[in-house]
Amino acid sequence: MTEITTENYLSEAKRAIKNQVLQNALADLQHRFGTETALAYQNLPEGPELRFKAHDIRMHTIDNLDVILDKLAENVRKNGGHVFFANNGKDAIEYSLRIARKHNVKRVVKGKSMVTEEIGLNSAFIESGLDVSETDLGEYIIQLAGEHPSHIIAPAIHKTRNDVGKLFSEKMGIPYITDPAKLTQAARKALREKFLAADMGTSGCNLACAETGHITTVSNEGNIRMATTMPKVYIAFMGMERVAARLEDHDVLIRLLCRGASAQNMATYVSYIGGPRYPGQADGPEEFHLVILDNGRSRILADEDFREMLCCIRCAACLNVCPVYGKIGGHSYGFTYSGPVGAVVTPLLVGINKAKHLCLGETLCGACKDQCPVDIDIPRMLLALRSKLAEGDSVWGVTPADRKEKSMYRAWSWMISHRGVYDLFLKMAAFGQKFLPQKEGMIRWLPPPMNGWTQSRDMKPIASESFLQRWRKGS
Amino acid sequence: MATSKHAEFIGRIKKALGHPKEDDQRMAEFFNLPISENDRTILEHIKNRTPEEKQKLFEVLIEAAKPINLNVIALPDVSSVTSAIVDLVEQKEPEWGSKKSVVAWNHPLIERLNLEEALSQQDVPVYVAELKNEEEQSSSSSDERKRLRQQIIDSYIGITSADFCMADAATLVMRTRPGQARSVSLVPLIHIAVIRYDQIIADLKELYALLKWDPENHKEGLTNCMTFISGPSKTADIEANMVHGAHGPREVYVYVISDKD
Repeated sequence: MTEITTENYLSEAKRAIKNQVLQNALADLQHRFGTETALAYQNLPEGPELRFKAHDIRMHTIDNLDVILDKLAENVRKNGGHVFFANNGKDAIEYSLRIARKHNVKRVVKGKSMVTEEIGLNSAFIESGLDVSETDLGEYIIQLAGEHPSHIIAPAIHKTRNDVGKLFSEKMGIPYITDPAKLTQAARKALREKFLAADMGTSGCNLACAETGHITTVSNEGNIRMATTMPKVYIAFMGMERVAARLEDHDVLIRLLCRGASAQNMATYVSYIGGPRYPGQADGPEEFHLVILDNGRSRILADEDFREMLCCIRCAACLNVCPVYGKIGGHSYGFTYSGPVGAVVTPLLVGINKAKHLCLGETLCGACKDQCPVDIDIPRMLLALRSKLAEGDSVWGVTPADRKEKSMYRAWSWMISHRGVYDLFLKMAAFGQKFLPQKEGMIRWLPPPMNGWTQSRDMKPIASESFLQRWRKGS
Repeated sequence: MATSKHAEFIGRIKKALGHPKEDDQRMAEFFNLPISENDRTILEHIKNRTPEEKQKLFEVLIEAAKPINLNVIALPDVSSVTSAIVDLVEQKEPEWGSKKSVVAWNHPLIERLNLEEALSQQDVPVYVAELKNEEEQSSSSSDERKRLRQQIIDSYIGITSADFCMADAATLVMRTRPGQARSVSLVPLIHIAVIRYDQIIADLKELYALLKWDPENHKEGLTNCMTFISGPSKTADIEANMVHGAHGPREVYVYVISDKD
């Protein structure tokens, strides 16, 4: 599995906020995609309400995932493809290494895939002596830099053109250039050689189609078409939830996916791939493998509170509007999935306690839900996670995150339900606050354990006379 | 071995769902349903589109093509397409070497262009993406396939037709068949697609209705690779600057033949 650094959320977030280059890039990204995606929904013939229909389609699919996946496997096999069900990342890696060995594979070209990032496929391949190249330009940059993606569809958003120029000149031995068009051309040349020399191609799967037995890949660059067309073996990896039953579901979902991901009516390339090359065809892989991955998803499925999260089609629309992601960037989230989607999915995949900061860090503003192409209620699930953190949960193995906080709230709730005690508290507080440092009528600092409240803001002092007292006086 | 994992995997999902209904009953909700009234109307509409509606559709296509830098050009007949291609070959320079060559699908519409003859004056060879040797067709690494692969890699222009063109997002729909290799629209620097006016359909709804319910299209199915192409390859991965020609073609031309024959 890929490295999990969710515990460093707070320190990483602080670092990201101080990184001015990142701040500019994030602001630009959100300004552009946030606005344009909302507009793209408005311009749908069915209007933004199509998202509600998409939600129903996704939910209905997830509610019947067993029969739909069964149908998908049956039809992929009918088309001549192989299907492997992987319980976890280890199973998926072992299977793909077995395929690689069988075909004596040396060089692998990869299309962008979050699920292979989740299971750490790259490092496993490299450890086994395979030469692995990411081929999405952003992912290629990240791979050369030895980093992880910081955004689901714009993985290198945190890199400037100067960074990329320096990186290319170091790693590819070309002169230092900074023009994006020229840098793209340099990558095109380098990666074309890799595509043509590769023995195996891999990619993710945006949305499979059960009734026809195809997987669908969506890209703008054409790298996934290359990876699925030129090498002799092709393996597609999909999270088990990434399937639709029928083509008419694709009509709704593909259109929304393209709008959610990058405000496009249609991505440049959408491919339905079902099975290997037939006799007589000049190109296409000799073998087609589909790896369907659970890796903790059936646990999410079993919990009614979180099942809805499996509707997600990983378009990253929520990242592009999230006020928290917009400040702290993708790396702070410490795992493959960042932003609002990461704040729910990551705790469920890696452990709620381990990744507690992710769900505690979001604002519950609801922008993610409004921008989600399949209208997933992320704020509801953030709250459900927080409630598990507050109360503890045996099914998910959650220990209450902060007992002190809980007892304080219990005391508070007791106090405010006893009028006399509450009045006494107010009187004491109004007196006590005179000893606290103040500026321009605001309290600058509260003593522990309330000091967190004044860490980054000032507090309004308690009025000398309460509302009730004024009411009684009639003034 | 794979089968037992399969059963275990699906079994786990079944358990997680805790479904009260029978599998068959749920299957029947999704699969093998009869054609809906809606799809029937769509098919009727495609069949009976009036000339005005077709013209309207073409205009939608032209508008959708503009923002994605897809060149859609209407031409009256086959011979004007041929001369347009001859002009392109003359103007455009290859990307990797200096020798110009072109690769084309084996397709009735492309055949009528007589490209080999038309380009012979410029001394530009036209390769056809077709395996001729029947015996070698099934072999995995036939010499003929290797030679064809190299010809596609060497060519700087790839010429294809398409099954459909969806107007609403300016999208070519191409299925794969013997003689109609997928790399022809992918590996060369420039992709030219030649289609007939009546291959233009409105949107995904129409496409999927045709694939599911039109007898001829349904019989062939999606093939093992159905690709949608909407404009030239692009990336915005460096400081969100849009650049064409990331891995696929940098320019795409769609020639729409409007004659009625």
